[in-house]
Amino acid sequence: MKDKIITYSFILVIEGFFLLNLWILDQKISFSERRDYQTFPQLTWDSIHSKDWMNDFDRYTLDQFAFRDSFRSLKAHVVFDVFHNLDNNKIFVKDDIIFKSEYPINEGSIQRFIQKMNTLKNKYLKNNKVYYSIIPDKNYYLKDSTHLNLDYGQLYDMVINGLQDMEFIDLRDILSLNDYYRTDTHWRQERLLPVAQKLGNQMGFAIDTSYQERKYAPFYGVYYGQAALKLPPDELIYLENEELKQAIVTSYEGDNLLYNTSKLGSMDSYDVFLSGATPFITIENPSKTNEKELIIFRDSFGSSLTPLLISAYSKITLVDLRYMNTKVMEEFITFENQDVLILYSTLLVNNSVSIRD
Amino acid sequence: MIFSSITFLYYFLPILLLSYFITPNRYKNFILLLFSLLFYFYGEPTYIWILLFSCIFNFYIGKKIGKSFNTKKSKVYLVLGIVINFGLLFYFKYTDFMITNINQILSISIPLMHIVMPIGISFFTFQTVGYLVDVYQGKVAYNNKFLDFATYVTLFPQLVAGPIVRYVTVEEELKSRNHSYSQFAQGVKRFVIGLAKKVLLANILGELASSLAGITVPTILSTWVHAIAVTLQIYFDFSGYSDMAIGLGLLFGFHFLENFNYPLIASSITDFWRRWHISLSSWLKDYIYIPLGGSRVSKLKWIRNIFIVWFCTGFWHGAAWNFIMWGLYFAVLLVIEKVILKDFLKKHKIIAHIYTILLVVFSFVIFSQESGTILNLFKCLFGLGNLTFTNAETVYYIRSYGILLLVAVMAATPILTNQMKQFQNKKWMTIVEPIYYVVLLLVCTAFLIDASFNPFLYFRF
Repeated sequence: MKDKIITYSFILVIEGFFLLNLWILDQKISFSERRDYQTFPQLTWDSIHSKDWMNDFDRYTLDQFAFRDSFRSLKAHVVFDVFHNLDNNKIFVKDDIIFKSEYPINEGSIQRFIQKMNTLKNKYLKNNKVYYSIIPDKNYYLKDSTHLNLDYGQLYDMVINGLQDMEFIDLRDILSLNDYYRTDTHWRQERLLPVAQKLGNQMGFAIDTSYQERKYAPFYGVYYGQAALKLPPDELIYLENEELKQAIVTSYEGDNLLYNTSKLGSMDSYDVFLSGATPFITIENPSKTNEKELIIFRDSFGSSLTPLLISAYSKITLVDLRYMNTKVMEEFITFENQDVLILYSTLLVNNSVSIRD
Repeated sequence: MIFSSITFLYYFLPILLLSYFITPNRYKNFILLLFSLLFYFYGEPTYIWILLFSCIFNFYIGKKIGKSFNTKKSKVYLVLGIVINFGLLFYFKYTDFMITNINQILSISIPLMHIVMPIGISFFTFQTVGYLVDVYQGKVAYNNKFLDFATYVTLFPQLVAGPIVRYVTVEEELKSRNHSYSQFAQGVKRFVIGLAKKVLLANILGELASSLAGITVPTILSTWVHAIAVTLQIYFDFSGYSDMAIGLGLLFGFHFLENFNYPLIASSITDFWRRWHISLSSWLKDYIYIPLGGSRVSKLKWIRNIFIVWFCTGFWHGAAWNFIMWGLYFAVLLVIEKVILKDFLKKHKIIAHIYTILLVVFSFVIFSQESGTILNLFKCLFGLGNLTFTNAETVYYIRSYGILLLVAVMAATPILTNQMKQFQNKKWMTIVEPIYYVVLLLVCTAFLIDASFNPFLYFRF
């Protein structure tokens, strides 16, 4: 009897999933993993001969497997609850906050970042007052000796000692873990007024602090899908006022919107801020006639902070050097006496290979 | 294609099972041959012709040897068979190794040929040569049905990573075999256990080993844990594959011999090799060691025989000096053991186990490293590398993988299996046991779906 049950249950599982996989329609995109899924590969003689078809088909079977997300969740539970691993694919959860381990320190990457920024300063920004700030990622505030963490002291020391003729603005003491989304890597815009004020204090500008909150929920951040665990989602709040509504956004790629609400509920709702990754954006503030301009070299953290700085400038130019090389940049910007802010997260400094020449 | 893949588990196997069991008995070998070729083609489309050549050539030569049995001709055919089979193996596996060494010794620069080795060639070459020798010695009758012979050579459960199945083991089952629920269930259990060994233990141990190999600041402790993790990884990887092969064999009515018998509980190196990769060591014993005279010769010749066999064992595993060193390391140990330590180890069981496991762990340090880094690693193991004992990173990995290491150590002994056996006949096991295997299969599936680390170590051999 037992042998029959084992035989039929095995057949049921493998034949059942085989038929289910044939029956279920293929998905093109994974919202939880934020990537395109492999679709059924085209069969050609060349693709078979080179084994490309087989490799693609293997990926296809993984991506399109029925209940894929539930299986990923099962795996995460076994990893954490049975094996008691401290992380699953570098992801771990503490007090319902999802972290992604960033370890070890990559000195080569930090040096590369320093060299790039010094070159930028010497080549293009000789006549500009340049400020810089390194945004700590949320692991910085993880008070936990269990997990491996970057030697942030070394990272900051290297950057501060390495960057020349630029003024450092230290944001470490005015941020806390609560200023970051629980399910995402980024900081929360509604909690960034102290950051904007600190930048203003050091750079010599004052910002408007009266905003209305616009809320979107549930917001599932980038780590949520990677964790594959049932955890409470975040609420995404963005700040608006009349001045921001009148701001004129010109984007080199993408939509000319300060807040692109069509991105809410998309693969990455954080893209609501300036439509996500874009190489070059200008934001003009018609209600500010002081002719003060700011250029920000930034990563995605800058997208949510920038709207809070608009009240101080008549024009802000955003450059993302991950998507734009400096030679092209010259065609778009005439460097005069604008304020310049270099604003990158520790994550990017430690993985600076993505910054273009 | 590998067994621990979604493609195999949820596409290849369901279609094969369905096709196989609805086909009348006399066409079952045809189905197996067809799917075995597909299985091989999926992983090695370029070199399928070598496998086909091996089937045709060895079928023909086997027939010739059999027909000219006990004549000079049969010897000629045997030599031809051995030369062609080993010639192919040598060409694909060892040419670049030879060129590299000739270049180094003679300070010349013959360009490398960058030959890609066909998957499984080491295994099917040994099987076919074994078959030819057995026919020549009259131990088995030559096969005169090409379909059956080709099914034997290409049989997918053992085709690409063993065990090395002797023709005599499956000779009768190639002609006719029984299928039963009991056998099928046995196969399922064996297959799922093997899959779990591979996916839940070997792969995760591989992640640990890989993390420790890339540790920012190595420590003495990290080097030890790395060596232990590598040993366990190799054991579970290979024995898991063998379990899956044996299990799959049972699904289709074949009974392959055991390839592992808890080698990590061995009480001597001799005992270890009676338990580790049994199909390879018995092949080398029967087809090289015994023909050379085995132990029934002068002491000097006996030692020579041991060194030849262990050189072959190492060289079979790979065309690199670390594998040769690994083989010869065991030759030295076996000679010392047989000449000096034999009685001592029998009397002192605990010391014997510690001695064996330490030497086995050291052997896998040699096995898993490039020859240039081996000495350095041994220095680290014994604290000669100017290393601290431990650091935060080492502690992190030990804490993170501690339970897995404990489970792996337990699973490397018969403790869990013996515990399970105690409950085998309990009534509640009728329900619990099937659930256990289904859950294990689904958990393995979950790990495969979210996998980033799933190589089979023995595929390169």
